[in-house]
Amino acid sequence: MQLALDATLTNVQTSERSSSELEDIDALVRTYRPRLLRFVTFSIGDADLAESITQDCFLKAYNGRASFRGDCAVNTWLTSIAMNLIRDQQRLQKFRFWRQARATAIDVNEAANFLPSKECSAESRVLIKEQTKHVQAALANLSVNQRSIFLMRFGQDMELAEIAAAIHMPLNTVKTHLHRALKSVRAQVGGIR
Amino acid sequence: MKSSIHLVHLSDDQILNTLSGDVSAGVAAHLANCSICSRRVAEAEAPIASFKAVTLAWSERRSATLPLQPPAAPPLAWHRRAVMAATATAALLVGISVPLVRNEAPSAPVVTSPATATPSSTAEVATVSTPALTAAMQHKIPEAPAAVETAQTKPQDEQIARDNQMLQNIDRALDNSVESPADTYELQPISSQGPARERAKTLEN
Repeated sequence: MQLALDATLTNVQTSERSSSELEDIDALVRTYRPRLLRFVTFSIGDADLAESITQDCFLKAYNGRASFRGDCAVNTWLTSIAMNLIRDQQRLQKFRFWRQARATAIDVNEAANFLPSKECSAESRVLIKEQTKHVQAALANLSVNQRSIFLMRFGQDMELAEIAAAIHMPLNTVKTHLHRALKSVRAQVGGIR
Repeated sequence: MKSSIHLVHLSDDQILNTLSGDVSAGVAAHLANCSICSRRVAEAEAPIASFKAVTLAWSERRSATLPLQPPAAPPLAWHRRAVMAATATAALLVGISVPLVRNEAPSAPVVTSPATATPSSTAEVATVSTPALTAAMQHKIPEAPAAVETAQTKPQDEQIARDNQMLQNIDRALDNSVESPADTYELQPISSQGPARERAKTLEN
């Protein structure tokens, strides 16, 4: 009984904390934008478009903060808003998705330069670049659902149940998509192991 | 039991499930005791970890260069609505006041000299439109006190008279026949009794 009461109190506190987190838009953007930008960028393959979608996502989140019930993490909530915006974008540009987007896709070589130099040697940096390139290439060949779920799991660090709730998909379907995505990524990077 | 765990290594599917976070108790127990399988999982995880690190470094850098654009707060939306309502009201008032001023225009004093009565189209237009225009421009209020009204109407009448005079002068200037360069050649307007017709009549006869 006491445990149940504690759990309820913790949930209420978490919900209040999350709601107050949404009130400070600057802090919200500062905390969540890098991860959200990465999620959107690699979901659509266009860095410029991703920026505007991310911005829209924060606007929507801020304007609709009253509807946030606090039953999931803010990160999960933001990701599901971003996911809806990505889907809208996909509906608009169904056929030129990923194809034209590659013009403004991120350059992994350039991105790898942002890695802290203290953390890795020159050799490992080259290996990291290669691995990243292969994962990026594998992502481009995944289906939309597989890519989104992969990015939610490994980019946003969301649990499988959270992903299922965010994209309104049965848990087993999420598992299947993720399994296939991982298989494809593994096949792509297999040559460099 | 322990030896049976070590006997069979994890399959590729089990490793993928482990990566995805779907780890059963048996697989977890095996991984805890089997260095080979642990290494395989780590090897499978490495490219994803690299991807995570590189892309996060990129997005953090990119995000830092973007401006923090706070969204429009709800009071602003209310303010925008109020501005729109005020604009609509102002447009409505202007829309109502313009026909009122037009209706009032004929009752405004029109000063016309006898010369104005001449059938000149320009003068006619000026007589009709000038008082209305002047009244509109001077924002004449019908409810204004009589003293102010008389004070205002005097210069107004003078102005109207001056305008009418000016328009008449223009009319007169336009009516005056100015010597044309064509006159030096004694050109005549083509009439029905032109030389060609005369010649044709002669031939007929």
